[in-house]
Amino acid sequence: MEQRVNYLIAGVFVALIFLTIIFVTAILPATTFQPKPTPGAVKYTAQEIRGRNIYRREGCFYCHSQFVRKQDRDMGEMVQAGDYVNETPHVLGTERTGPDLSNIGGKYPDGWHWAHHIQPRKMKPGSIMPPFSHLTEAEMTDLIAYLQTLGRNRKVPSWIVPPQEIRDDYHLIAEAVDVNSAAAANAGRGIFQQNCAMCHGVNGQGNGPVSTTMMKKPANFHRPFYKAYSDAMWYWRIAEGVPGTRMPRWNKALSDEDMLYLVAYLKTLPLPVGTSTQEYEVTEFSQVNDPADLSRNFYEIESLNKGGPYYYGGGRSK
Amino acid sequence: MSALVKVLQAIYSDEPFSASRNFLVSAIFWLVLGTVAGLTAAALMVWPDLTYGVGELTFGRLRPVHINGVLIGWLSMGYVSCMFYLATVLSGRKSLWSERLGNITMIAWNLVMVFGLLSISKGITEAREYAELVAPFDWAVLLALILTGVNVYLTVLTGEEKKWYVSLWYFMGALFWFPIVYIIGNRTFVSFEGLNDAIAGWFYGHNILGMWFTVGGVGILYYLLPKYTGNPLYSHTLSMIGFWTIGMFYAPTGTHHVLQAPVPEWLKSIAVISSVFLLVPVLTVLVNFFQTMKGKWHLAADHLPLRFAVAAGISYLLTCIQGPFQATRSINWYLHFSHWVVGHAHLALFATFSFIVFSATYFMIPRITGKKIYSRPLAIWHFWLSLIGWIVMLLGLTIAGLIQAAGWHHAIPVDQWAIEMEPYMLVRFISGILIVAGQVLFMINIYKTVFDASAEQVPHSPTGIAYV
Repeated sequence: MEQRVNYLIAGVFVALIFLTIIFVTAILPATTFQPKPTPGAVKYTAQEIRGRNIYRREGCFYCHSQFVRKQDRDMGEMVQAGDYVNETPHVLGTERTGPDLSNIGGKYPDGWHWAHHIQPRKMKPGSIMPPFSHLTEAEMTDLIAYLQTLGRNRKVPSWIVPPQEIRDDYHLIAEAVDVNSAAAANAGRGIFQQNCAMCHGVNGQGNGPVSTTMMKKPANFHRPFYKAYSDAMWYWRIAEGVPGTRMPRWNKALSDEDMLYLVAYLKTLPLPVGTSTQEYEVTEFSQVNDPADLSRNFYEIESLNKGGPYYYGGGRSK
Repeated sequence: MSALVKVLQAIYSDEPFSASRNFLVSAIFWLVLGTVAGLTAAALMVWPDLTYGVGELTFGRLRPVHINGVLIGWLSMGYVSCMFYLATVLSGRKSLWSERLGNITMIAWNLVMVFGLLSISKGITEAREYAELVAPFDWAVLLALILTGVNVYLTVLTGEEKKWYVSLWYFMGALFWFPIVYIIGNRTFVSFEGLNDAIAGWFYGHNILGMWFTVGGVGILYYLLPKYTGNPLYSHTLSMIGFWTIGMFYAPTGTHHVLQAPVPEWLKSIAVISSVFLLVPVLTVLVNFFQTMKGKWHLAADHLPLRFAVAAGISYLLTCIQGPFQATRSINWYLHFSHWVVGHAHLALFATFSFIVFSATYFMIPRITGKKIYSRPLAIWHFWLSLIGWIVMLLGLTIAGLIQAAGWHHAIPVDQWAIEMEPYMLVRFISGILIVAGQVLFMINIYKTVFDASAEQVPHSPTGIAYV
């Protein structure tokens, strides 16, 4: 009998400790942590709430997070606690198989989203996003309306820029070469042919002989996206390489002047012949059901039309 | 007709250990279904247009089916089966307090799984990670948990044995803690606003591991190891320290899943500190594991259930080296949002806790049914396919996670590095094939044993002799 009493005391003790800990870590925050709404907190309309429910139903949050961390450099404004007052249930996400969506709203036009949800790989080659062709037209409209709210009220952020130390370096060495001069570009062409053409091709179209062996193809510098690169950005990518690709760190092999000549040359490469700057507008649902005719470049062109580098990096068109 | 009657008799029976057997048989079905769903999801990571146009088979719906199938279906039902068996044996009773209640729980649980998984794949979901089942199912699961708890508690309290073996502590702890975690964490019964919803969500997401899978699994391991090796458990005191510290340190750790989100800093600090302190219960388990195994490692060559248990113990070591360090701010800062964490989750839930239940299955089934396991070669194949499967999966996901983390860290756009993941996703798919193949063999083996009347008879042995 005494044994039983001992067990009883122990049991009560376990219960008390456990309930205290649960109270502190799960219940207490709910009473003390009441952030004030910030301008970033979106008040959803009925349609946007429907869209948000589709976002949850289709499990988008399993692969897309909705919070920008301090270390995320190209995802726009960092989030604050008050941004989430209307976000119940939360869709913060815990894995990023795809990009963060906190600031996706306004980055692409609705038509792009239509096509992207039906045939993701037409719009983003190499993406493994599931196709959502099973959504009805009404559901898709709601979902896109919701996506366009994300980050709507945050400040317009800057897109990816080189880290401060690279920019400092660049300003120190940039005086040696005028990267806007034809002479520098001409010098850079030779260096390009010797060092870069193997992968990037003699015209910089990313089609050099070695490129056939690569999974991630070398950059095609004629793409409109690169017209948005700053000089320091070019320098950063050349000097430090591109992690995750075969692009090496050229500062191990080339002098500062040579790299600046390269910057000058790369800036002169033109847009592809026949690039249309006409804005693409989807008006009919049937148009995007067969998105085969949508070129992968149209969204880049569109973003350039609106006056900024929206290819990636949290920019927006509104 | 008579077959139907027989089935009904079997699932609504009050013979000793029938609830345990029925739970295990259904758990193995959900294991195969859950891993097949996971394999399909893994295939979609390689060939994303494989199920074009079929909403039920998109990644966003297969993933919750996989998770709920293996967590609530396979592992939880397997645990309940082990708890029923071990509670009966350890308390010196002939059968559960009520086998019939146990069987009713089993039927309810299976109904929840059938309709829950169907509703998830039709898009009827709460969309809360690890808690996707909608409110009616939450009520049913909670009811099933409470019925299980009542059954196990009453079995132990009415048993002959007055001195409780440590496993019983673990089971009774788990059955007390988990319903509380479930009530708060599911947010069906209590609701939270905004970020507090996320805090409660991860409180649940981590404590379903900590207060249920860890506590239950360690309890089972503490019973099986001394049985298999013939050594007594190295230290009863250590196991009790482990028991208390799991309760103390696991509960607050959930916030380390949202370590860089704008939730209160003090909560993050508590989460990180208690995550590191988890090394205390982990070390007690590991010291007990290695010391109990002392001098008996050679047995694992022949003794298949022991082999599973040893693999589980070593995976537990790996998991628990990863876990606390991943939770620290400096490492989480780099590794969060990557496949590394997915690998870690499979290491814990498959390589550790599922292996413990595999071991327990091969131990319990001959004792429950009185028959020798149908085929030793099948069991050996099951072991190697599962073991190689998870090692390949862990390596693939870990490397993929490091590439991914480098992508986030260097601000490379996703579509530039996503293509680099392709080979590792393929590796993950192949490892999935190995694992699923192993589980199918396991199912064949156990079902043959249970349903084949002509199998070789064995006595109910109180020792850890392996009937396989």
